Amino acid sequence: MNAKNNKDRVWKSASGLPLQKFYSEDDIPQEQRQRLASDPGMAPFHRGAHPGGYRTKPWRIFQLSGFGKPEDENERIRFLLEQGETGFIMEHDRNTGDHCYNVDHPDVVARREDVGLTGAVMQSVRDIDICMKDLPLETSFGHAGGAVVQHAPFALAGYWTVARHRGIDLARLPGTGQSDFFLTYLGCVTKQQIPTAAGLRFNADIMEFCDKHLPRWVPVSIAGYNGADTGLNAYQELGALFANSVEYLDEIKRRKTMPLENAARACSGVNFRASMDLFEEASKMRAARLMWQQLLERRYGITNPKVANLRIHCVTAGSRMTYQQPLNNIVRGTVMALAAALGGVQSMGVSGYDEALSIPSEHAHQMSVRIQQILQEETNIEAVTDPLGGSFYVETLTAELVERAWEFFDEIQEQGGFLATLDSGWLHERAAENQSEDFRQQESGEQVIIGVTDHKDDISPFEVDGFMGVDDAYDVALERLHEVRRTRYEAGASRALKELETVCRDGSNIMPAMMDALEAEVTLGEIGDIYRSVFGDWATPIQT
Amino acid sequence: MDTAGKRILMAKTGLDGHWRGPTVVAKALRDAGFEVIMIGMARPEEMVQASVDEDVDLVGLNIGGHIDVAVRAINMVRESRPEVPIFVGGVVPPHAKRKLEALGVEVYPPGSQLPDIVAAARRLTGLA
Amino acid sequence: MHEQLKQQLEHAQAGDRGALARLISVLESGGSDAAILERCLRARHGGGYTVGITGAPGAGKSTLVSALLGEVLAEPGRVALLAVDPSSPLSRGALLGDRVRMQPHAGSPDVFIRSMASRGHLGGLAMATRSARRLLEACGWPLTLIETVGVGQVELDVASATDTVVVVLNPGWGDEVQANKAGLMEVADIFVINKADKAGLDATRRDLEGALASLPPERRPQVLETIATEGKGAAALWQAIRDHRAAITASGELEQRRLAQVRSELKGMMDALLANQVQRLFEGQDAHARVLAVSEGSLDIATASDQMLDLLYDQAAGRV
Repeated sequence: MNAKNNKDRVWKSASGLPLQKFYSEDDIPQEQRQRLASDPGMAPFHRGAHPGGYRTKPWRIFQLSGFGKPEDENERIRFLLEQGETGFIMEHDRNTGDHCYNVDHPDVVARREDVGLTGAVMQSVRDIDICMKDLPLETSFGHAGGAVVQHAPFALAGYWTVARHRGIDLARLPGTGQSDFFLTYLGCVTKQQIPTAAGLRFNADIMEFCDKHLPRWVPVSIAGYNGADTGLNAYQELGALFANSVEYLDEIKRRKTMPLENAARACSGVNFRASMDLFEEASKMRAARLMWQQLLERRYGITNPKVANLRIHCVTAGSRMTYQQPLNNIVRGTVMALAAALGGVQSMGVSGYDEALSIPSEHAHQMSVRIQQILQEETNIEAVTDPLGGSFYVETLTAELVERAWEFFDEIQEQGGFLATLDSGWLHERAAENQSEDFRQQESGEQVIIGVTDHKDDISPFEVDGFMGVDDAYDVALERLHEVRRTRYEAGASRALKELETVCRDGSNIMPAMMDALEAEVTLGEIGDIYRSVFGDWATPIQT
Repeated sequence: MDTAGKRILMAKTGLDGHWRGPTVVAKALRDAGFEVIMIGMARPEEMVQASVDEDVDLVGLNIGGHIDVAVRAINMVRESRPEVPIFVGGVVPPHAKRKLEALGVEVYPPGSQLPDIVAAARRLTGLA
Repeated sequence: MHEQLKQQLEHAQAGDRGALARLISVLESGGSDAAILERCLRARHGGGYTVGITGAPGAGKSTLVSALLGEVLAEPGRVALLAVDPSSPLSRGALLGDRVRMQPHAGSPDVFIRSMASRGHLGGLAMATRSARRLLEACGWPLTLIETVGVGQVELDVASATDTVVVVLNPGWGDEVQANKAGLMEVADIFVINKADKAGLDATRRDLEGALASLPPERRPQVLETIATEGKGAAALWQAIRDHRAAITASGELEQRRLAQVRSELKGMMDALLANQVQRLFEGQDAHARVLAVSEGSLDIATASDQMLDLLYDQAAGRV
């Protein structure tokens, strides 16, 4: 966009909110103006979860990582921890993990070279044990993997089983899985998946199990990120995320198996995306905290500040990382991370600058950590909590996002609720509309992406070649699968598997049987086969 | 020229479920008048069967992950339908892009603009 | 051209799927090649059977068809599927996504799946669907399933193109049943309430059975329940289709239906041919002269149309 066009340009936020030339006190809606009296750490929490902000606790540097064999992934995690990462994410191979297939499944064999590209193959507790070698389980915040709903019980039970073998009291174990509906049913619709109703049951089972046995564990982490990176705009991401929370909370309320306040606490660690519209994204984090407080108070009568205080993990938008001139992405990652930090998030992951080319190389990973360290250590951003609070613009934007997000939330309820919008494809349609609009705007010149739509440069001196992982992941995984089958106590494994099937069918909590299955060295694919026979396949509403 | 009746098979080689890119491309091709047959995540033999049964004029593959998986799919489709052109899109690192182009396959990495992809489809199906 | 088509047909009949697929494309594009091909199909009346599956969008037709394919294959048997989806009226392009759901069977040599865009044809089928079915039969496919476009109401066309019609509904569709009562009763041989695990099943079954109560018991369609995503009820559906086939074969109704199918298709073709001829007539001078005459008042419109009809007959006779 060159300067002479700016005259006729309609200025809007990335989600389409019209923007004024400047903002004055009068622009802030009345209700929001009253909230200016609340300090950070006070309800409704839009100004921050804690008055001390990053002085009290810097945001956690939390990078997605994983590739190759379990030992390769272990090495990369330890590298990141040495580089200053303060939590770690154990990514499982998605070909096998997302689908609950073993590597000898025909659909995996047909793509054997892909195995290990997006995470380590972990088919039994033995593989998980290798991946977790020497990791500081008690002192750092671990993500056990299991982002996809049907995979989560296996991934969590595996992590917990290994921890138990190491003599760790599960009651003291910190960490999270994800088990995210946005990823599973909206953003990354895999070839085979249990239906949404079965998925809801799994997540409620995990919440119950953690309530009893793992009080420090965050059992589910709703990831609006995956909705946003599929196309939902800022207020749609907010509205849909809380529509998802409501499904979990209503299910627990129906079951009456744990205090609702505990369930709300279990849902109060969420995941948002930070993209390029700096002020809208910062405002979004503030809006999210405000909405959570409102939701709990209005719908469930929960006001306990420990629960009503939303904790946010933020990941910078992978979809905004460009293939062209990839080093520009370091700048983009920095701006997005800044937006998240200004919004006061508790935890952050920055997408690799080579995201559009491949999985992150070691260098890209290091840069993702460095970006955050530079912000934390060199910019003095940690000194003051909610640095944007009181800004006419940001307060107005926060209030507008809240208003539009609740409207979107209501639209979802009118469609029958969050799960219904996934089953019918309504939510996919909303995302797809925005995707098409993005492309249209890029063609028309309304949306500029440097290096892609403008300032194109085919002979970039900074070409990055992408990272291709290791090439023996499949062979080793196959060998280890055979090894487990050969050497495990077969009668115990088949008994555990039978018990798991019974539990899947009779509707009782799946987790105790899953723990027994992992202990008995039952493999991922065997568990997946049970799911497929008991639950069938989700009728995908989209055509790919 | 008229695109009526020109048929394009769209498939994904990997098991990764990101549908954002392929769906936008499929819609653009439909809006340009093509009949787009979508088979989602498919093994090479499924792509072969579909490209034969559906009598398509062009095959579009969304690829990601390891280049060898894409190359195997391309070779198998070519074996049974040697006259049908193939173009690919997706997360293709530069070294993989060069390898595919050497095989005579057009590559559209992230950031490619829809009009360019539609123009390629028209050219490859003999319409322009 | 003639020879080449004949040769391709021979290949297709010998089991060459590529040849069969190309010939379906020939039928789809219409024109003189399609007419030549149709003439070759004349004498090859096979013993094929055709089942239509219709219902509103989102009812789960494709998933149900996929489960049904599984049942047929398990027998074992061979089965062809023509899956029709709408063409965009603006661009004339189409997104054809039915194969995604058929994936478990798509690799089997005993299944032939063809996605067809409606190409402007209304009524749930594509213009060439009937011709493609005939070709499949001539190539030895004993069973053809036709999945229609779902456009919100029951498509009547399918009844005049298939031997057994399966109508797919969902729980909670009581109102739709009431609103489309007449149409449903006219076309359905078997009702399937798919997604039977969803709320509203009993009410929908009640509404449906209420609507069917006026039919004599021997003509009353079966009402089945399925959960296609889990494959539940597919075996019963396949059995119901076979029962229906046996019943209408024994009673002689199948023969009547086949006659009606030919009558309907022949009449449809004639309508199209006539429309085409009329269009041609109106592109010529004769029509223009009469339009002028009627507009000046020197000719009345009834006489003009009689004269045009005579011209049409002359034109047709001259063509032969």
